[in-house]
Amino acid sequence: MKNIVYTALAISLCLSLGKFLSNSIGGMPASLYGMVIYCLLLQLNWLKAEKVQTATQWVIRHMGVCFIPASAGVINHFELFQNHGLSIVAIIFFSTFALITVVAVLTEKYLTPNTATFINKG
Amino acid sequence: MNNINLLDSLILTLLTLIIYQIIAWAQQKWQLIWLNPMLISIAIVVPYLLLNNIPYSEYRQSTQMLNALLEPAIVALGYPLYLQLQHIRKYWRQLLVILSLGVVIVMSISFIMTVLIINQQEIAISLSLKSITTPVGIALTEQLHGDSSITAIAIIIAGFSGGLLGPSWLKLCGIKSDAAIGLAIGSASHVIGSMLISKKNPNQGAYSSVSLIISALLTAFIVPLLIPLFLVLFS
Repeated sequence: MKNIVYTALAISLCLSLGKFLSNSIGGMPASLYGMVIYCLLLQLNWLKAEKVQTATQWVIRHMGVCFIPASAGVINHFELFQNHGLSIVAIIFFSTFALITVVAVLTEKYLTPNTATFINKG
Repeated sequence: MNNINLLDSLILTLLTLIIYQIIAWAQQKWQLIWLNPMLISIAIVVPYLLLNNIPYSEYRQSTQMLNALLEPAIVALGYPLYLQLQHIRKYWRQLLVILSLGVVIVMSISFIMTVLIINQQEIAISLSLKSITTPVGIALTEQLHGDSSITAIAIIIAGFSGGLLGPSWLKLCGIKSDAAIGLAIGSASHVIGSMLISKKNPNQGAYSSVSLIISALLTAFIVPLLIPLFLVLFS
């Protein structure tokens, strides 16, 4: 319970700082500034990773439900999919496979020898 | 909330929660990847709204509590980002260069193709943000006034297409290392791709979890510079 309060306070603090940054310097949305700050505070050990671990993982596991209200907006786009559905799928396929190819080829060429130290976390 | 009744709002929010939870539980139980909780929930919620003549704007407003929770949920992603940073100490420079290049390429191709073929900027913004994890994709799309529902659907298609067909395609291209396959699938097909390839090869899965979170972060940094440029160039 103590760790849940700790995590909730930590996330609220990071989000508030994110809102401040987003309002003052712009650029990214507040939540993404918050994400970077959260990561930074953990890295600096100002926030204790072992205290936020359980509650944070719970949030991440269940966050999918928060996407539904925005995603259900497809209800207004039947016409778009009727007219351009095939083009949309083709664009997604083409760009996805272009990205996969570029990253894989570059990794194989420039990264592989150095990655022996990578820790397999499964 | 102007004329929306508190009870209706509560019912719609609870309904969404329950549908999602049941599907998420079923997916966990049977380990069926295509039982994507978000996709199936949308496939239930949309017909429900149509049958009951509930306008989307009303549903959206009634469930705004769920949408508001998206912000703290994105902040929580700072934790896996922190975990993954511990793994890339030895090769972070090369990784950042490769993934940034990937982000710029995929956004450019998606945006330009969409403008040329469909000629709608709102859709172009949505499709250029489809390679990253859903919460970050939705947040960035909303900030740029794209359509987040298109982004969400495109993200699912990118996830399944890259995750299912990507490994065979890379084999065809002669790519062999787990690092290359994992990083590539993670950067293009995010959590869905990562789940799909982890089943066959956990080592590839580990690499893809690194690249999906780093790619999301890089996209967040690059988008505010690149998309406004495209909007000027292609307006």
